[in-house]
Amino acid sequence: MRLPRGDLVRSRTATAPGDALAWALDADHTGYLVLEPADAVLGDGDDACVLTIADGVPRLAYHTGTERGGAPALADVAGAGPYSVDCYAVDRSALADVTDTDELTVSPGAPAERLAADSALAERTRVAAPDEWTAEPASPADPVEAFLADEERLDAIRDRAREEARRKAREWDLTDALVDGDEN
Amino acid sequence: MVEAVAVASGKGGTGKTTATLALGMALAERYDVTVVDADTGMANLLFHAGLADAPVTLHDLLLDDADVAVDDAVYHRFGMDVVPCGTSLDAFREADPTRLRDVVAELARDTDVLLLDSPAALGSVSAVLPVVLADRVVVVLQPTVPALSDGLKVQEYARSYGTDGAGVLFNKVHDGDSVERIADRTERYFDGPVLASVPDADAAREARDAGEPLLAYAPASAAAEAFREAAAGIEIRDEPAEDVAARFRSAVVPEQP
Repeated sequence: MRLPRGDLVRSRTATAPGDALAWALDADHTGYLVLEPADAVLGDGDDACVLTIADGVPRLAYHTGTERGGAPALADVAGAGPYSVDCYAVDRSALADVTDTDELTVSPGAPAERLAADSALAERTRVAAPDEWTAEPASPADPVEAFLADEERLDAIRDRAREEARRKAREWDLTDALVDGDEN
Repeated sequence: MVEAVAVASGKGGTGKTTATLALGMALAERYDVTVVDADTGMANLLFHAGLADAPVTLHDLLLDDADVAVDDAVYHRFGMDVVPCGTSLDAFREADPTRLRDVVAELARDTDVLLLDSPAALGSVSAVLPVVLADRVVVVLQPTVPALSDGLKVQEYARSYGTDGAGVLFNKVHDGDSVERIADRTERYFDGPVLASVPDADAAREARDAGEPLLAYAPASAAAEAFREAAAGIEIRDEPAEDVAARFRSAVVPEQP
């Protein structure tokens, strides 16, 4: 997904991006959010989800690390907080040039549901969305079922947790208690 | 025999302390149970067990110059032995979390089941130590994406330290939630079975306000019944108490900086 360069208008670190999504909705923000798990910010990983917003409503999602778009891009950062959330403003006409494709589109309420578990915000977002955006089949129907069906995503969470456990064990001098010691 | 089981969640607000005391009371019908509030930074078990005024708590046992015996912090309540933790931030700062190992070792000599109410976080030695020391872990989940995601993290930490899974417990479940539909997939990713699906209940909040465990406050409630079902699904393993106490004593625990 190629985006026009935007102006940074808001930058926060948060356990979930609910505040940023609510802010964007209330401000009728047009531009994009860059959502980066704090682990990735500290490391050298390329692990951010970029979410375009038009008049406060999320439209396209793309993950720079997995290069997946749409709901899978959200899944790639779901539960990976705390996040650094940067909000960029882009001129409306410039954003209109970014192509909407099915692979990148997310349903309007999906970011609030999947990243912030905030159904009230999701509902508010759906209400604010243009009719044609919400007319799309809601996918996934049940976010929890969809989450548990996303094996790739679950494996990624587990891999990341395993690495984190080992890294923390070294930090805390607990490596001898690890089941297989510390091979790294 | 004794087995140490950490009750963990990775996320606050899942009703972990309610679950710990409920499982403890249900298991106490079959075993000698000791419940320890190992959430030393955010202790709240004392409020759930009517022990808000307990003169001696786990904090006192974790002080370097502790001049109290472990038994002094053990209170027999609701058919179980309960070791509450204090809520003073100063006491938490002064407490040496690594002493938990010795406390657990001593408690293990005289009980069948040690339930460790564990911190809802993984960010420090004191937070992760209960999971490191326990034989098995029960992960308490709400059927939400963030809770499942954080629960998976706890599970991987436990695995990394060789702590087995005793199962997962869905708590605060609402009518519209799809626990039945997600149970199979949950079991694919977590160690052990889905032990029960506990409905969200006002009774749990009222019990806490009354300073009683749910199973004492509302024993006939649907939530209490579900917790009993969960406890029935946990078979306590038979291991000589002395072996377990020795294992805890020899557990690798770092020096405090």
